[in-house]
Amino acid sequence: MHVNAPTAALAEAASPGNEPSNPLRTDPALRAALARELRAIVDIPNVIDAPEELLVYEYDATIERARPDLVVLPASTDEAAATLAACARVGVPVVPRGSGTGFAGGALPVAGGVVVATARMTRIRELDAEERIAVVEPGVINLALQQAAARHGLRYAPDPSSQRICTIGGNVGTNAGGPHTLAHGSTVNHVLAVEFVLPDGRVTWLGGRQLDAPGVDLRALVVGSEGTLGLVTAICVRLLPLPEAVRTMLAVFDTVEGASGAVSAIVERGVIPVALEMLDAETIRAVESQARLGYPLDAGAVLLAEVEGLAEQVEEDAATVLAALTESGARTVRSADEEAERERLWEGRKAGIGALGAISPNFYLLDGVVPRTKLPAVMREVMALSEAYGFRCANIFHAGDGNLHPNIMFDELEPGSSSRVLELGGEILRLCVEAGGSITGEHGVGLEKRSYIEWIFDPPDLDAMTRVRDAFGGSGRFNPCKVLPVSHGCAQGHAAEAGQAALRLARAPGVYL
Amino acid sequence: MTTDGARVAREAAGTAADALGVLRDALPEGRERDPRGYPVEGRRPAVALAPHTREEVAAGLAAAARGGLAVVPQAGRTALAAGGPLQRYDVALDLRELDRVVEHEPADLTITVEAGLGLGALADLLRPHRQQLPLDPPGGDGVSVGGMLASARPGSWRGLLPGAGDLLLGATVALPDGALARSGGRVVKNVAGYDLHRLHTGALGAFGVIVEASFKLVPLPQATATVVCRCQHLPQADGLARTLRHTPLAARGLALVGARAAAASGLGPAPHVIVGLAGAAAALDRSVREVRLCCRSAHVPHADVRDGDEGWGRLRALAAGAGSEIDGGDGTPLVVRGSLPVAALAAVLEEAEEAGFAAWAHLAAGSLLAVAPPSGEAGDRERVALLRERCEAAGGALAIESGPAALRAALDPTARAPDEVALDIARERRSRFDPLRTVNPGRWPRLDDPGERGAP
Ligand SMILES: Cc1cc2nc3c(=O)[nH]c(=O)nc-3n(C[C@H](O)[C@H](O)[C@H](O)COP(=O)(O)OP(=O)(O)OC[C@H]3O[C@@H](n4cnc5c(N)ncnc54)[C@H](O)[C@@H]3O)c2cc1C
Repeated sequence: MHVNAPTAALAEAASPGNEPSNPLRTDPALRAALARELRAIVDIPNVIDAPEELLVYEYDATIERARPDLVVLPASTDEAAATLAACARVGVPVVPRGSGTGFAGGALPVAGGVVVATARMTRIRELDAEERIAVVEPGVINLALQQAAARHGLRYAPDPSSQRICTIGGNVGTNAGGPHTLAHGSTVNHVLAVEFVLPDGRVTWLGGRQLDAPGVDLRALVVGSEGTLGLVTAICVRLLPLPEAVRTMLAVFDTVEGASGAVSAIVERGVIPVALEMLDAETIRAVESQARLGYPLDAGAVLLAEVEGLAEQVEEDAATVLAALTESGARTVRSADEEAERERLWEGRKAGIGALGAISPNFYLLDGVVPRTKLPAVMREVMALSEAYGFRCANIFHAGDGNLHPNIMFDELEPGSSSRVLELGGEILRLCVEAGGSITGEHGVGLEKRSYIEWIFDPPDLDAMTRVRDAFGGSGRFNPCKVLPVSHGCAQGHAAEAGQAALRLARAPGVYL
Repeated sequence: MTTDGARVAREAAGTAADALGVLRDALPEGRERDPRGYPVEGRRPAVALAPHTREEVAAGLAAAARGGLAVVPQAGRTALAAGGPLQRYDVALDLRELDRVVEHEPADLTITVEAGLGLGALADLLRPHRQQLPLDPPGGDGVSVGGMLASARPGSWRGLLPGAGDLLLGATVALPDGALARSGGRVVKNVAGYDLHRLHTGALGAFGVIVEASFKLVPLPQATATVVCRCQHLPQADGLARTLRHTPLAARGLALVGARAAAASGLGPAPHVIVGLAGAAAALDRSVREVRLCCRSAHVPHADVRDGDEGWGRLRALAAGAGSEIDGGDGTPLVVRGSLPVAALAAVLEEAEEAGFAAWAHLAAGSLLAVAPPSGEAGDRERVALLRERCEAAGGALAIESGPAALRAALDPTARAPDEVALDIARERRSRFDPLRTVNPGRWPRLDDPGERGAP
């Protein structure tokens, strides 16, 4: 299945102004023939073409829908490679898909075509506790890897809040972060190598089994490329030893600003906690209405801070953090060392997004980043803007990283509300950019933000990014219309319409948890 | 498109002298330097230029590309013996004038600097704020930010602390077509767009010249110390090192040092294990106790506590070929780095020392460094090839980080068993960014060798 000569895809990518074309939409016979060919590769039930079954693959964690023509569920790298080669020969769009929990529309087949879902590639191929590495297939659920590692006293550091359901392949796609990114970094810092299928079906490993493999680092480029460069079929990750001691602190503040100020106060004292997470009043009320966790209902915000390491270090760091919290005006601080007690403090954070989903018909979850010191000012403006627009806004976010997640609550049945929510979302992200930040810290650009990306990058920057994408040979066909703006990607047809309409509103993700 | 492309471009621009004229005209007065100060691999450039701004770098690159000239960017001159030998060398691009701090907000723990700034100067600047960029590549203070990124040589703390790529938040790169392209940003978390800055890390200029970079900083540790454990033989040292790897410690470095490397770095001629500690005083005390306990049960007689950087600084200098001419000529010492499973480090280390290298291993990174004076092309090639074979047999790889040009011509400095598919992507990428091979032609032999490329 390994084609060495440049394929039609490469030629297509080389031609300027390429647009995603999808012959399957105009030629039903072609669709049937491709389905037959794919069935010969992956077995009959693993190619889905019945409309009612395709429905499941129409959406991710956004509200937008886009219908694939076919869905393929390969069980191995060979099957995946043969699938991609077959799609390349016919020149149809291909969209990789993990669990579909993405918040940016990355897994939506906006131009139709073939969705390659990794749900059958769920093996942990290898876990070497001595070398502290694991090799997993892309469909492995994040939590399953965590649990497998924990049996050896190890952990996989990236821990997105969706870890019970999202896949490692999807995490690689979006370069996912989580509460512990503050100390341990995002997914890219923990991926040593990826097994990668190019859009034309050729397979290669990028990276090595140790850190800093010699050679051009294509691995780091694939992580976070949102499925636009090719399909990841295996991931070699590094595992870290579990720390000797961990302490979690939960501090109650009267205001979000007060809690935001505490974030800088902690860091200024020379301690970087492993996690520093904030929940505002709106979120606390939502959480408490679902389960009594003992968060005070009259609090303006709570800040969760966690330190870990050698017991003596934890003792020292915790004292420093405590002093900073108190001096920043924390009303009370609860501390916990024991696992069960710590879990309890974390419970509100973990259940937060789901709880918000339950109290509002819809919400739009934003993902922006600001420099840590700008947190108090930006948070103040976020609240003022939401009020001006007449929406309730709840905040539950990675405060230590300056990674905001305003959740705007609304009811799509109320006329005009969707477009106003989008407008507000745009204004909030604008604020982040003006504060020197970014339009996305972990959810990705996908469809949702591909026009916003022009706020932070100039045409030469985007040109360079286009050149890199083109070098993989799948431009315009492999997950088309994602990441780069209309000016640097597909410009016409169905996909563009979807792209235009794709400033997406999150559906309530409670349903996923 | 490389050699031919360069010739065609040169013809289009007239003679080489014309091309140099065009290049000189592209930069303001006062940017020329004496080319004799920029030898690489025994060659001197026709012209040396020291641009003052990133725009000047971009303009110079574009003019050079138009004239078919080959440009070698440089600043600290610590990694000029890396990669394949240069195929051409017309222009030295001295980036040391680009040494400004663009933005530093101490409370954000981030900094944006120009690429010519040295790591020593950067450390001095951060120290009053009790902050650091916790990277210590071979060459140490003399390495420039851009050179550190382009050569991507990991330091002693790698694995226990983040690497350069992990701390890099964004970068601006001058491209041979004259564009300045930015990726990433200045905030600590960001997934907008393709992370081109990570691609330039370790690329030896293949896709452009880094002119500016933003980093995540960390607080300076409250205290540091090094525990030096002198062992009786290598298996004992290996056993101790592996036990320590599983012992909770406030460690930022853990190295297994062969007898030759220990002698060369002033520790004394015996295999050693050295542990770099960083953290609160109480955590350091406890860690020292733990290390001593481990030594006792491994029957290792000596475990001395020294100042923070002792031992490490000498090894770092050794890895940089300290005291020798490292312009890639015949006198350049050999420095190779193996990537290996932890379980295989000691065995390969032993073979390396038997073959005359001074060798040590960083356990947290799975990397083995081996250093030797040059001994002529044939001998060097044999020694390095043998070591590479051992690394590959153990499931690892070996890169030549520094060495005489003749050695780097005989053996591909970076590739392990070449993967044609990955090479294809990289080659395609190089062609899209630098079609005429203007920057560092030859550093990636498999991307630049006309014989290696398919039909146009
Ligand atoms: C309740 C909730 C909480 C969340 N919390 C976090 C959080 O804390 N941090 C965070 O970062 N995100 C979070 N997310 C977002 C989401 O879970 C992540 O983006 C996750 O990485 C997506 O994984 P997935 O398996 O669902 O991928 P999908 O949504 O299926 O795909 C995501 C992207 O990756 C690509 N992709 C998937 N698999 C592959 C593959 N094998 N090869 C190549 N490309 C591929 C897709 O094309 C798409 O562009 C949250 C989502 C929800 C619903």
